[in-house]
Amino acid sequence: MGGDFGRPPIIDFDRDIRPLLADRCFRCHGPDASRRKAGLRLDEEASAKSARKDGRVAIVPGDLGRSELWRRVNAHDDDRMPPANSGLSLSAAEIARLRAWIEQGAPYTEHWSLRSLPDAVPVPEAPGGEPANPIDAFVRARLEREGLAPAPPASKTQLLRRASFALTGLPPTPEELDVFAGDETPDAFARVLDRLLASPRYGERMAVPWLDAARYADTYGYQADVYREVWPWRDWVVDAFQRNLPFDQFLTWQLAGDLLPDASREQILATCFDRLHRQTNEGGSVEEEFRVEYVCDRVETLGSAVLGLTLGCARCHDHKFDRIKQREFYQLFALFDDIDECGLYSHFTNAVPTPTLLLPTPEQEKALAAAEAARQAAGRKAGRTHRDIDPVGLDEWLAQPGKRAEVVACAGHFAGEAIEGGKVANLADPSKPGRVDGAVQVVPGKVGSALRFDGECSVTLPGVADFTAYDEFTIAFWLKVDAITDRAVVLHRSRAWTDAGSRGYELLLEDGRPSFALIHFWPGNAVRIRAKAPLQAGRWTHVAIRSAGHGRADTLGIVVDGTAAEVEVVRDCLTKSITGGGAEALVVGARFRDRGLAGGEVDDLWVFPRCLTELEIDHLAGGSRLAQALARRSFHGEQGEQIHDELSGYYRSLHPDDLVADEAAYRKALAGITAVRDQIREIMVMRDDCPRAAYVLERGAYDRHGAAVEPDVPASLPPWPKDAPRNRLGLARWLCEPHHPLTARVAVNRIWQMHFGQGLVRTQEDFGVQGSPPSHPQLLDWLARRFVQSGWDVQALHRLILTSQTWQQSSVASAALRERDPDNELLARGPRLRLSAEMTRDAALFTAGLLVEKPGGPPVKPYQPPGLWEEKSGASYRRDVGEGSHRRSLYTFWKRTSPPPSMSLFDAPDREVCVQRRQRTITPLQALVLMNDPQFVEAARGLAERALRECGADVEASVRSMHLRVLGELPRPGAARALRALWDAQAARFAGAPEAARQLLAVGDPPHEDAALDLATQAAATMVASAIYSADEAVVLR
Amino acid sequence: MNEGHDLVGRRTFLTALARGGVACALPGVAARSLLARDLRSGDEAPSKGPHFAPRAKRIVSLFMSGGPSQLESFDFKPELIRRRGEELPDSVRQGQRLTGMSGNQSTLPMVGSPFPFARHGQSGADVSSLFPHTARIVDKLCIVRSLHTEQINHDPAITFFQTGFQVAGRPSVGAWLSYGLGNDSDELPTYCVLVTQGAGGQPIYARLWGAGFLPAEHQGTQLRAGKDAVLYLADPPGIDREARRAWMRAVRALQEEALAHDDDPAIAARLRQYELAFRMQTAVPEVTDLSAEPESTFALYGDDARKPGTFAANCLLARRLLERGVRMVQLFHRGWDHHDHLPAGMPRLAGQTDRAGAALVEDLARRGLLDDTLVVWGGEFGRTCYSQGRLTADDFGRDHHPRCFSMWLAGGGVRAGTVYGETDDLGYNIVRDPVHVHDLQATLLHLLGLDHERLTYRYQGRRFRLTDVGGRVVPGLLA
Repeated sequence: MGGDFGRPPIIDFDRDIRPLLADRCFRCHGPDASRRKAGLRLDEEASAKSARKDGRVAIVPGDLGRSELWRRVNAHDDDRMPPANSGLSLSAAEIARLRAWIEQGAPYTEHWSLRSLPDAVPVPEAPGGEPANPIDAFVRARLEREGLAPAPPASKTQLLRRASFALTGLPPTPEELDVFAGDETPDAFARVLDRLLASPRYGERMAVPWLDAARYADTYGYQADVYREVWPWRDWVVDAFQRNLPFDQFLTWQLAGDLLPDASREQILATCFDRLHRQTNEGGSVEEEFRVEYVCDRVETLGSAVLGLTLGCARCHDHKFDRIKQREFYQLFALFDDIDECGLYSHFTNAVPTPTLLLPTPEQEKALAAAEAARQAAGRKAGRTHRDIDPVGLDEWLAQPGKRAEVVACAGHFAGEAIEGGKVANLADPSKPGRVDGAVQVVPGKVGSALRFDGECSVTLPGVADFTAYDEFTIAFWLKVDAITDRAVVLHRSRAWTDAGSRGYELLLEDGRPSFALIHFWPGNAVRIRAKAPLQAGRWTHVAIRSAGHGRADTLGIVVDGTAAEVEVVRDCLTKSITGGGAEALVVGARFRDRGLAGGEVDDLWVFPRCLTELEIDHLAGGSRLAQALARRSFHGEQGEQIHDELSGYYRSLHPDDLVADEAAYRKALAGITAVRDQIREIMVMRDDCPRAAYVLERGAYDRHGAAVEPDVPASLPPWPKDAPRNRLGLARWLCEPHHPLTARVAVNRIWQMHFGQGLVRTQEDFGVQGSPPSHPQLLDWLARRFVQSGWDVQALHRLILTSQTWQQSSVASAALRERDPDNELLARGPRLRLSAEMTRDAALFTAGLLVEKPGGPPVKPYQPPGLWEEKSGASYRRDVGEGSHRRSLYTFWKRTSPPPSMSLFDAPDREVCVQRRQRTITPLQALVLMNDPQFVEAARGLAERALRECGADVEASVRSMHLRVLGELPRPGAARALRALWDAQAARFAGAPEAARQLLAVGDPPHEDAALDLATQAAATMVASAIYSADEAVVLR
Repeated sequence: MNEGHDLVGRRTFLTALARGGVACALPGVAARSLLARDLRSGDEAPSKGPHFAPRAKRIVSLFMSGGPSQLESFDFKPELIRRRGEELPDSVRQGQRLTGMSGNQSTLPMVGSPFPFARHGQSGADVSSLFPHTARIVDKLCIVRSLHTEQINHDPAITFFQTGFQVAGRPSVGAWLSYGLGNDSDELPTYCVLVTQGAGGQPIYARLWGAGFLPAEHQGTQLRAGKDAVLYLADPPGIDREARRAWMRAVRALQEEALAHDDDPAIAARLRQYELAFRMQTAVPEVTDLSAEPESTFALYGDDARKPGTFAANCLLARRLLERGVRMVQLFHRGWDHHDHLPAGMPRLAGQTDRAGAALVEDLARRGLLDDTLVVWGGEFGRTCYSQGRLTADDFGRDHHPRCFSMWLAGGGVRAGTVYGETDDLGYNIVRDPVHVHDLQATLLHLLGLDHERLTYRYQGRRFRLTDVGGRVVPGLLA
């Protein structure tokens, strides 16, 4: 707990008491009603200070003797609190603190982070006059109280090194160091900051902590951990930082960009943030279980990244420490449960899980516009209806007597009379019989015999029905089911259900209702219609599905017993192709891992590459309407005209005319649009087109719906803004209100943490009562207020912090100060941090002259020990030779189940979930990376080569040059001697072992062409360079 | 070995440790004193050493990834053979959820083991004919037939087994042990992981042996077959031991120079990590080099043990690591996920693992190590008593089954020669002495001298533990 050194004279509830009560008492005497003992709450003042039934009062202000709490924490029997079996205890110092607090009147205050952000925060008077930067006033006021003085400023060299890493993630060059050292003008440092903030490296550096928070990765995670293309979002983040997008907009776009008025493509792209959680495609997973998991992840990420609250704790029960009820978790859940998504991504296709955004290139935009224009042109011709233009010769034909009722141009006819050699005959094309798989039975049917299915067996009909969304087609057959079930697959052209995103077309019975769909990825990119009436069990029904080939709900039909069924439109959002799912044949009766047509019979199945008229389907169903119509002589009256129209369509099928060709051209134009779209890059985003009823999920279980809830925010935080919509956009507005207690505090703390290695609040992920209270609460508030007032200007905040004397102090500490303040909580010295994994690698590439500075694009695969992907799954890793091995580390391919090991070893998170602060460990495996990773060996060779080219034969100069480049300063005499000794010894060794030199220099990609260098010298210099990369200052910023 | 000691001798190192002035070089303890600085930010210093006298000092886990069938290994169900092909009674299933794989199946025909069972040893435990070697050592084992888990899919189930929670992000069991007990070796990692190479099956991944929110030095270190047994261990070509030693001397001079100007303990700590790395470069190849093993070793483990990366070679390597003070060795063997073709698949997998697993137990016993080494064999869940997919005369599969599965334990503190727990006649539900995964975890920690409720770490405002909010030590498993 803060303040343990140098006990403050006055107890501060926030700092001294609440964390103590929260940690030791709240589990049984806190917000969680289900675990509360004796009805006592110590988190609420009223409960703590009022009498229990037995008359005892936990806390009587100023009166230890009457305070039950005091008695209990000092008891030596079973009354002792916390109880022995809790595993918790209070130290003597902590008990003394409670005593002081009660004696001082036991004041309670609202938890500091829930207090409204004040309008203004007075800057304290600092000792020694008012400093130029208010940050210093806050820090010095505290130092003065503690009897400490600030450290002297860091050297200019250190300052430039710190600022360069802080803002660009890379060290300064020797030239930059020279210029700055020689620049005595008062605004020299300000100009350095201008330069660094304007550098394209700034956005790349700033993006990394946000990628951790957003759990950005290039793969889905979980078992299969397949690649997903989300890098355009990463590039957006880099770009947003680069142009200093105000932070409130940065948040709003990511949480609700799709809901902004006239949302731009970029604003929608930003919402990919909410889709970056892990997703699974593991066979056999329960779809809803994982979908719920995804929504929870969004809520938890909001909590951790934006609010600094551990909302996840309230998923299964009321939060044990913070005032967040389980119901409130699901109110937030309701806000993020508004998209048309599937809990499983597709195993057998590479469909992008919906909802998605297309990201066309300029060329694709043009192609799309051209395809759309072609569709409109074709549509104008095809738009004429049958009624408008009768086919030539229709009336003469109608007048002819003796016309035969027939349905022509059939592609397949399966009467189902027999199974012979595992085949069923195709009467329309004997060369394409059906193939029986499993125990299909031949039973008495509607017309002769029928085929009976058990839910597992099926008949595959290859070569007759591989339709696209832009083909006309009809499939008609007799169907009888023993019983109505909630789901049964009648027929389909697809590989699998969720495992293939349902790609293809299908006819199901859902609660007995025929349900016909064309699907790219279910449910977000599909069209489905469903008959309103269920079939009757035990009765033969004639069922036909037909498509006019427009890929829209209004041109699909279900015909039951010869009459178009009344249908509801379940989805109507197909924009991509329904083929390519790994299946080409129509299958009747069952589907992989789906529920088949158990106890169902199918008879006399016809397939047509045409959208049949109702008259024709009625004819197939044994009806007489077609024959009667053909025999008709007069077409007056409404009914007559309708029959005339249908006959006109029928006539066209026998005698195709221009209009048929126009229709075909229109369908081709539609297919043309889809063909362009299929090529366009597509990315997961949010789109609120699927609001769902939300419930409390009891114990967090996906299938245990409790009370219904409405979207809202926790009651312990400010209320929903009055005029804001109840959706994610309203939530974003709420977050960015100028007095919101958390958003700005959490944001400025993150940036402070970036520059000092730790936030003013140590627990960036937890601003709740179990988190650590701020070391400088007034400073935090002042910074947050200033940040909001500046228009959430992130760059201004960097500038403010980096120009403070506090940040510019030397980081050297005396043993006494380290002893007293090991964490540098008081800020009596400057920051000292180990470089991040990214900075360590990038700096090596940069100083070696190997860094390829190319912005954005697909992730790259640099050096990685062989076999890491292979040993964990079937995937294989192939390194990108050349450029891809030398890009900045934020572009490195991030596979969640096998993150780049050299980065993981330097504490990069695996990006499974939101991470707010990285550890900074020291391990032997880090040493091994710097010693032996080809990336670093190659960099050492590069650095050496650079120095040798600059300095020629002057060994001392080469050593100095390398040292300066990597460590930002010249070597001290002892270091210079040691490096010189290494050089000499290795030069001698390699001179006697040229093969060893050649081997060492062959590590990595082939070096620059420079034959002039002596092998042994180069190898020796490489060893020296490698030692410099392993120096402490190469990984620690001082 | 121990050539690093010319740089910082063991004595110097221990003196430094005793002074407590600088962080020491043991990975289990290293950085610990540095990280203890994080105390104020909500994390806690780990408990020092065991909570009480341990029965076992080290543990080896033979993890059979994919979920081996209990019905073809250790849980004999003649009733399933008698009722072959009959539908699983609803009264047995009791609405238990099935996976999406067999959940849509129209029939659930029961099927028994095609492999005969026989009673073995003094204990007379039933073991199937697929595991003749395990059967031979059955009196050293405590077979548990009543394990159950809450998870039905691989990823959540294996994550649950390794970390006590189904969602990724928590520390693995080995990381908890490293955190709780520290390291006994000053040249090898505390927690070593060995994965059988070239076996197909359900993917596994590094986070299964990760440190979660514990400091990174507690994470498992995977040792691989081949020259780079630990990632980045081998020096680049052209650099011999002498050259590395010279390099190390220069690096040390650089750090000491830095230390002379700024006595930051982190500089000293980093130097010590370099020296540990340097020692590992010798120690790891030494331990992974099986060539010096006598013929009798290969006679015991089988010829497979000569092939690096096989399960047998890993079992042998595990013994060598344990001998050298490694706290936990965990072997992963993939491929037990027999949704189909179980009659062909089970013998293959049993054949890859049975002999070497038994050999490891015998070898440890022979060397007097079994008394204080815990051995655990098993997977993340069991398999269904009914056939997934079509049941034919000679083929069937089994789906995932979380309600009961079998494992065996051996060694330090385990009640050897017993069978614990019982399932119903159809091998579907547990009827006696259920052991939840958390119970198993609590019991393993108990045997290693740790109270599962006291081995906690504070993170994001909560004290986390391996057993989450459950777990109890199972006395029936203890000697």
